[in-house]
Amino acid sequence: MPQDANQVKDHFELFRGEEYTDMLAKKKAEFENPHPAEEVARVREWAKTEEYKDLNFSREALTINPAKACQPLGAVFAAVGFESTLPFVHGSQGCVAYYRSHFSRHFKEPTSCVSSSMTEDAAVFGGLNNMVDGLANAYNMYKPKMIAVSTTCMAEVIGDDLNAYIKTAKEKESLPQEFDVPFAHTPAFVGSHITGYDNAMKGILEHFWDGKANTVDKMVREPNGKINFLNGFDGYAVGNLREVKRIFDMMKIEYTILGDQSDVWDTPTDGEFRMYDGGTTLEDAANALHAKATVSMQQYCTEKTLPFIANHGQETAAFNHPIGVEATDSFVMEVARLAGVEIPDELAKERGRLVDAIADSNAHIHGKKFAIYGDPDLAYGLAKFVMELGGEPVVVLSTNGGKAWAAKMQDLFDSSPFGANCKAYPGKDLWHMRSLLFTEKPDFLIGNTYGKYLERDTGVPLIRIGFPIFDRHHKHRYPVWGYQGGLNVLVTILDRIFEHMDATTNIPSKTDYSYDIIR
Amino acid sequence: MSVSTTTDIEAVKERNRALIQEVLEVYPAKAAKRRAKHLNVSEEGKSDCGVKSNIKSIPGVMTIRGCAYAGSKGVVWGPIKDMIHISHGPVGCGQYSWAARRNYYIGTTGIDTFVTMQFTSDFQEKDIVFGGDKKLAKIIDEIEMLFPLNKGITVQSECPIGLIGDDIEAVSKSKSKEYEGKTIVPVRCEGFRGVSQSLGHHIANDAVRDWVFDKAGDKEPLFEPSPYDVAIIGDYNIGGDAWSSRILLEEMGLRVIAQWSGDGSIAELEATPKAKLNVLHCYRSMNYISRHMEEKYGVPWVEYNFFGPSKIEESLRKIASYFDESIQEGAERVIAKYKALTEAVIAKYKPRLEGKKVMLYVGGLRPRHVIGAYEDLGMEVVGTGYEFGHNDDYQRTAQHYVKDGTLIYDDVTGYEFEKFVEKIQPDLVGSGIKEKYVFQKMGVPFRQMHSWDYSGPYHGYDGFAIFARDMDMAINSPVWKMAPTPWKKDDGDYLAIAAE
Amino acid sequence: MSLRQIAFYGKGGIGKSTTSQNTLAALADLGQRILIVGCDPKADSTRLMLHAKAQDTILSLAAEAGSVEDLELEDVMKIGYKDIRCVESGGPEPGVGCAGRGVITSINFLEEEGAYEDIDYVSYDVLGDVVCGGFAMPIRENKAQEIYIVMSGEMMAMYAANNISKGILKYANSGGVRLGGLICNERQTDKELELAESLAGKLGTSLIHFVPRDNIVQHAELRRMTVIEYAPESNQANEYRQLAEKIHNNAGQGIIPTPITMDELEDLLMEHGIMSAVDETQVGKSAAELAAG
Repeated sequence: MPQDANQVKDHFELFRGEEYTDMLAKKKAEFENPHPAEEVARVREWAKTEEYKDLNFSREALTINPAKACQPLGAVFAAVGFESTLPFVHGSQGCVAYYRSHFSRHFKEPTSCVSSSMTEDAAVFGGLNNMVDGLANAYNMYKPKMIAVSTTCMAEVIGDDLNAYIKTAKEKESLPQEFDVPFAHTPAFVGSHITGYDNAMKGILEHFWDGKANTVDKMVREPNGKINFLNGFDGYAVGNLREVKRIFDMMKIEYTILGDQSDVWDTPTDGEFRMYDGGTTLEDAANALHAKATVSMQQYCTEKTLPFIANHGQETAAFNHPIGVEATDSFVMEVARLAGVEIPDELAKERGRLVDAIADSNAHIHGKKFAIYGDPDLAYGLAKFVMELGGEPVVVLSTNGGKAWAAKMQDLFDSSPFGANCKAYPGKDLWHMRSLLFTEKPDFLIGNTYGKYLERDTGVPLIRIGFPIFDRHHKHRYPVWGYQGGLNVLVTILDRIFEHMDATTNIPSKTDYSYDIIR
Repeated sequence: MSVSTTTDIEAVKERNRALIQEVLEVYPAKAAKRRAKHLNVSEEGKSDCGVKSNIKSIPGVMTIRGCAYAGSKGVVWGPIKDMIHISHGPVGCGQYSWAARRNYYIGTTGIDTFVTMQFTSDFQEKDIVFGGDKKLAKIIDEIEMLFPLNKGITVQSECPIGLIGDDIEAVSKSKSKEYEGKTIVPVRCEGFRGVSQSLGHHIANDAVRDWVFDKAGDKEPLFEPSPYDVAIIGDYNIGGDAWSSRILLEEMGLRVIAQWSGDGSIAELEATPKAKLNVLHCYRSMNYISRHMEEKYGVPWVEYNFFGPSKIEESLRKIASYFDESIQEGAERVIAKYKALTEAVIAKYKPRLEGKKVMLYVGGLRPRHVIGAYEDLGMEVVGTGYEFGHNDDYQRTAQHYVKDGTLIYDDVTGYEFEKFVEKIQPDLVGSGIKEKYVFQKMGVPFRQMHSWDYSGPYHGYDGFAIFARDMDMAINSPVWKMAPTPWKKDDGDYLAIAAE
Repeated sequence: MSLRQIAFYGKGGIGKSTTSQNTLAALADLGQRILIVGCDPKADSTRLMLHAKAQDTILSLAAEAGSVEDLELEDVMKIGYKDIRCVESGGPEPGVGCAGRGVITSINFLEEEGAYEDIDYVSYDVLGDVVCGGFAMPIRENKAQEIYIVMSGEMMAMYAANNISKGILKYANSGGVRLGGLICNERQTDKELELAESLAGKLGTSLIHFVPRDNIVQHAELRRMTVIEYAPESNQANEYRQLAEKIHNNAGQGIIPTPITMDELEDLLMEHGIMSAVDETQVGKSAAELAAG
């Protein structure tokens, strides 16, 4: 009997005992009708070949292990960044259960969001009643200051009209006439979660700036010197936003973070559950119209929002998830220019420290080949940083990246000898990546938690950066933006490289001459 | 730390009733009226728990429920390891459910098994407008090209499929013909159908009936039948649950010919009608197919409970009663074999857990099934409810599990659950990932009772030891003492404390 | 002048796209810059402008290219008679997919691509009945502001006109959509004019024009032309010009319709002798039963 009350074995060890391995081998042989082991081994080897890769890349219809989610997830992400705002997703209820679970698994935090729980009758008659009742219930139960509405694909297929429904709900006194209910249509069959972020963010700004769905006068812009900041869909929102605020404070910039998720996804355990915490105040969201300029950290997350803001007379600037020295330089200098402030010496010092760290460590990264995947901006930011460290990206893949993104990536590769052998893969998934890891043979893979399956199958060590990260804790608390963030990313990469070095040099009398104490 | 020191049952009932009234006050009248039917206090001797169930959730209240797709793809079909399950529709559903349920299995993923992969048709706007049948046909071709060792395919419908009128049955049939009778199963589990995961279980069960059993016909099993053949039904092998159950059945002399559906295979599904008895753990999700096998193939079924030694012992004897003396002796032998282990576990953990109060809110089985395991450790379940239980679940709960005066909450809303816990102050809450952090913020120990909080197995004798360890770990972790800020405590003259 | 956003709705086969294209051609003659958005999967709302069978639709092109994001405005917009800009939304074969969603997709695309810039009129030509949310898209806020219902003296056409009015009413309070009026396309049914005026009255609107039946329309259609272009001097061309002028002068005159119940509609038909009063004793009886009775 393997189990022992004093040394309790759980799944890690329990099933490795003979009782279990014998039992499971018997199960397989007698009842599972398995393919012969040689056949499994043959196919396994075949799946590593160029031939398989070609077949794999000939796929037109099937998607396997994509690195993207659907629009409403991004809408919920945008919404929770506003003060006491309850995201309300109009459509089937299962979707909301999924978004909440997904965020909670990443941030290890509660995520509050409601659904209008549409079922078959609503599919036929439309979801107006669900909206009317749902808004009334949510308003009364959860006392939000704002309810941000988005849609699941069900509501989109049947063509429910959010604007009309919300107005009707107010007429029926589900909630007060003046209560803020911005909305965005977020069909899951268009774009990805970053599109949903964009639509929802634009919906919220449009609501405040352009007359709250024709219920009040449009605001008139009275320009001031402030800077608006958009993070885009970012798994590091907690650490990144705090870092950006620190930098802006240091630079003495007056700013508004549009969608500040850093508190609601980092609430204390002190005996009180905070359904809402922090966030951009509604007043600030409205007054953001008057800002001098808006900066987006993720171009592909704000393809509609940023032009919308520009049309209201502001200067805008977009970055691609800037990571590292040069990207952060551009970011810092651009916001300094926009805000008309001096860059403080402290920041120059921080910059110098990052350069110092790179100088100390780059020898371990130089010439190493990297495969990278993630949302289009993150993939760009990471590839740029890897090149800056002397690493050589060979594959950069983004399931939700398009042709324009691929062209932009190519420009980046062309800008440096370290990008010479790299190719961008827009619209491809992690099964494509699996083939590429076998054939392109990079030294390391950078990606989110799902990359661990690739690491298992191909042996390429995974450096976990991205969203979601389910199987490591608290990474979201550490920024990847700013010089400080660059340092964190550098250390994350280095740690994995060193671990890998140790793990491959530790066989006594065989490889352990390189098992160095000093590296 | 429990505040509810009240031992008088009537006082507990009184408090619980008042609590129900209090939470209902937050709702608009229409919603309050509807929610009132789902909240009650259990009464000794009643045949059920006095709540309505399996009714549509109210919009906007933050229900914890999922959808039919989650019930079919996520629960019933997903764990069948040698088949490929296509999440048919937009990308999200498959993405959020990708490897999120810990249905352990053994196999070479991507080659001969596929459970922790996400196959999706990633519907685009054009697929909605022009229909997705052609795309589905091509997807099946591409699966055959890239995954030649797959043993079958299921099509798990997401919401749009039913709305745009795709004919996935026709595609499945014609492709099955094209690929020499390969099992291709269309499943109409669109998320808007029904009121929760539950209808998805039912639809998935029916799909097994129509597209696996009826198709397999009289196909002979690959093994020589024996008088002791049983199938484990309704164990999803979370963290290895089905394995730590299987071992007990085999030790008592039975032969397990199939596992449904944790670590299951299509061959096992097909062979199940040859079993002499179906042993059913999750009644809620698989009673349909069990009843069907009884009617059509004459295979009787028996419910069992492998949480905690009391229920395991009872269940082993009940299962054995369907067989001859050799098996009955086998059951006694197994009970005896593990006696020392369970006694050691109880001796170690009961003193740490005795008298602790637990509130549960889980899916369709565990809100009642785990109560015995807690009681074996001297703990008391003071509140429980189902996400997607039906009245027959509440009947079983009332008749065999809960104590008089237990607070019952069906399809609980975020608000209600939070208030109930806040007022009752249990020592432990057992529920899901969406609830976990809410209660931990409140300083209340918590265990996820869907995923075993990444631990497990919890089934069987081996699992009980882990269950006991985990509950102790949750409740007696030093972290909870630190939750209140010392200088903000009521008696917190922190200058005085600091001076000490 | 601000952009006039109009839409033609009506029962299938009523001559909606013929009426709309002739009217719009006449408006173009008046110097108006026009965009036509066909919202019928048949894609026949622009053929008379383009002298074509049917133009490539947004949705078919998008399906080919991958997604609408891959399209440019030039790919989908054709220039027809008097520089009228023509686009067809298109849609699936009958019985598959979701044509309503296609309408939503197309209109969103056109808005994002700036198709509505530098024009005086945008006109939507929409499939018969409002069968789902997708086909209601053009009457939602910021889309069509004035709806013209093409109908005739036939019972089903009047029924459809009433139904469309219900759709307008649903969105009229939340958005700015209004009923511009009825256009009767003569079918030469009994008391057609009288009936059309009467229905218009019940709906709270007016019969904006009664278009007489004339074979010259068919002659023009065979040549894939509007009458305006084929026979500008004809009487029929003149009728369409009158209609165009009336619509042009109808800016801001739209109303929120007051749709009637099925019973009221039947009463109306009986009033005008189109339908005889139903003898309740005969309802549900077979011919044999009636003969025996």
